[in-house]
Amino acid sequence: MARRTTTSATASAVTAALALLLSACGGGGGQTSSATDKPTGTATMWARDSEKGFINALADAYNKSHDGKVNVTVVPSANFVQKFGTAAASGSGPDIASIDLVYLPYFASKGVLDDLTSVLDSLSWKDSLSPAHKKLAEYNGKTYALPFTAEASVTFYNKDLFKKAGLDPDKPPTTFAEMLADARAIRKLGAGYYGFALAGQCGGCNIFETAPHIWASGGKILSDDGKTAMFNSPQVTDTLSFYRQMWTEGLMPPSAKTDTGTAQTTSFQSGKVGMVNLGAFFVQTLVADKKIDFGATPIVGKDGGTASFAGGDEITVTKGAKNKAVAYDFVKWATGKTAQTILAKNSIVPIRTDLIDKIYAPRDPRYKVLGDAMSTGQTPYSVVENGIINDNNGPWSTLINQGVFGTRDIKSLQATAQKAAQQIIDQG
Amino acid sequence: MTETTSPPTTAPGTPAPVPARSAGPRLSYRGRRQLMGVLLVSPALAVVTVFFIIPLIMTFWMSLNDWPLLGNHHFVGLANYRRAIHDTDWLHAIGFTLKYTVLITPVLLITALALAFLVNRSGRAARAFQSLFFLPVVIGFAAAAYLWLYLAQPGLGPLSDIAVRLGMGDRDTNWFATATSGLLLVSVMVVWKVTGMQMILLLSGLQAIPGELNEAARIDGAGRWKTFRHVTLPLLRPTLALVLVFSVAGSLLAFDQFYIMTGGGPSNGTITAVYQIYRTSFINFELGYGAALSAMLMVALAAVSALQMLLLRKSDHS
Repeated sequence: MARRTTTSATASAVTAALALLLSACGGGGGQTSSATDKPTGTATMWARDSEKGFINALADAYNKSHDGKVNVTVVPSANFVQKFGTAAASGSGPDIASIDLVYLPYFASKGVLDDLTSVLDSLSWKDSLSPAHKKLAEYNGKTYALPFTAEASVTFYNKDLFKKAGLDPDKPPTTFAEMLADARAIRKLGAGYYGFALAGQCGGCNIFETAPHIWASGGKILSDDGKTAMFNSPQVTDTLSFYRQMWTEGLMPPSAKTDTGTAQTTSFQSGKVGMVNLGAFFVQTLVADKKIDFGATPIVGKDGGTASFAGGDEITVTKGAKNKAVAYDFVKWATGKTAQTILAKNSIVPIRTDLIDKIYAPRDPRYKVLGDAMSTGQTPYSVVENGIINDNNGPWSTLINQGVFGTRDIKSLQATAQKAAQQIIDQG
Repeated sequence: MTETTSPPTTAPGTPAPVPARSAGPRLSYRGRRQLMGVLLVSPALAVVTVFFIIPLIMTFWMSLNDWPLLGNHHFVGLANYRRAIHDTDWLHAIGFTLKYTVLITPVLLITALALAFLVNRSGRAARAFQSLFFLPVVIGFAAAAYLWLYLAQPGLGPLSDIAVRLGMGDRDTNWFATATSGLLLVSVMVVWKVTGMQMILLLSGLQAIPGELNEAARIDGAGRWKTFRHVTLPLLRPTLALVLVFSVAGSLLAFDQFYIMTGGGPSNGTITAVYQIYRTSFINFELGYGAALSAMLMVALAAVSALQMLLLRKSDHS
């Protein structure tokens, strides 16, 4: 008798505990609205921590002028894809998400985003939105996101060091050979001075900073449809050989080999590094420092030519969004002039090519270079971008690391990386 | 957390009293004790079920599926396991994990034992040093890894400054530049971080050995080494077994220290098994394959721990 009692007591205790736990996990609820409803109530939004500087100001501006409200949660950039992916898979994601454009093909292909084709078509400024952003937002002929913030990569150079080394601070390099010569001249300034800094163990950094050298030389690392890896192209060989030469000649700081993106910026800020490829965000950092007289110039190809990585974020409405009315209203507003002007004031490149010269370029002489770089910038399209490129231990990052800092034959390294990348693409 | 702890206090009470009351006076003392025992254990049971048993079964089920993070999953049988056996990245990761475990386990054990002997005496100084050696244990692993990452940063870390002053290289030497030096640096960090815990465990083992035994050994003419070898060490065996299992299990599960300090590099030379599982699941989003790798690691871990316990128990009886 006592035994039976205890078993049933245990069972009910466990069941009750489970039930309580489950209900605690579920949470939320509340009303839902569709895209065509009147936008009232509150919509939730996730943004990357790199947007921390302006995202709340932007949400406040929207909240003050609209009935609907947007509530922003900032998520660490390094974990954004994992966090958003897991949340979307379990149905606990936000209504609106600001996503790094390189990840859009992946999320669009997995059906977690709402189709925004009609929203894009309804915008009168549709044609002046960043072409790279529009391309990345497309999957199977439909648009799943609107351009939101832009970023572009350029070469920053230290004008003071150029002068000291006897170089013309108004004539930045235009070919690999000139870059090499400038780097050598700066290295000669003494111990601790370096020509060029690289983040050698960072996939994301090197698609932003190194791939433009390849593009400017006329090469590619992925086919346009993202189905074929082109890591074995001769332009990749040229760029890696160029970097390896700078490394073996001691023109890069020793930290470059293991830098995951943290040492590179600080080494340029220290005033002892001649050149570095970075983005618009860095202008703000350097201007705030007030230490270095710097210039910005397009990233060059082997024998001339220029290219840039058009980066930034796109804004999306999730398929499981609860307050779609406010979400749709907000994403439209976010590409408009008011919102984009707030971004420009916070040193973010606007995604409106028609507005760059009015609201952004006049703010700093170097912004013109960045704005132009963004308008013509490229972005690789792949549903497995994270695996082949941004993974710090993936094929792209490994190729850069071994190609620049290793001693093995570059062509055979390319062949290995090509195979690994193609395998990830084929596995989907 | 509040949700997880509160239900057992209220929930079990509601259904249980009804039959218990009706049985009333007939419920023996023993019966009531048993009921009480079950009630007291049920919170732990619920937590273990929800946070261990269910996830464990789910992990196993996922490992039999092609299970992407987003999108549909389908049953593939043992395909994930077959793939793992031929996956060179996975095999490299296992090789590196074993290398790290073999390197760090004896170092940890000897350091901890030496420190335990050092502080195994009375007096304020011994207590002060004991606390000092234990201090790093209270810092989180990630925080410790970041601390050492900074300490060893080429050009700006104090460790490289010390190395220069000792004539051991120049200011710009990058200690993370090769997999071996990276591994050594991480190992030094781990010893600094973990050895205090093992010292405390061994110290309690040492203090549990009755002083009369050492005295008797000395009266019989045994020297310090002989006393240690034939009295202390055999009596310390259960504690050693515990410390060894902790240390080996911890090393086989190493992740954060490498993730933070070396980023798996250079050239993927310091990727551990758990690191590879993380990459599979959360960078390539192959949750099913990641689950299969986890299951393999778990089986290996259980086997190693069982073997260790068995070996040490057997020798105890000899």
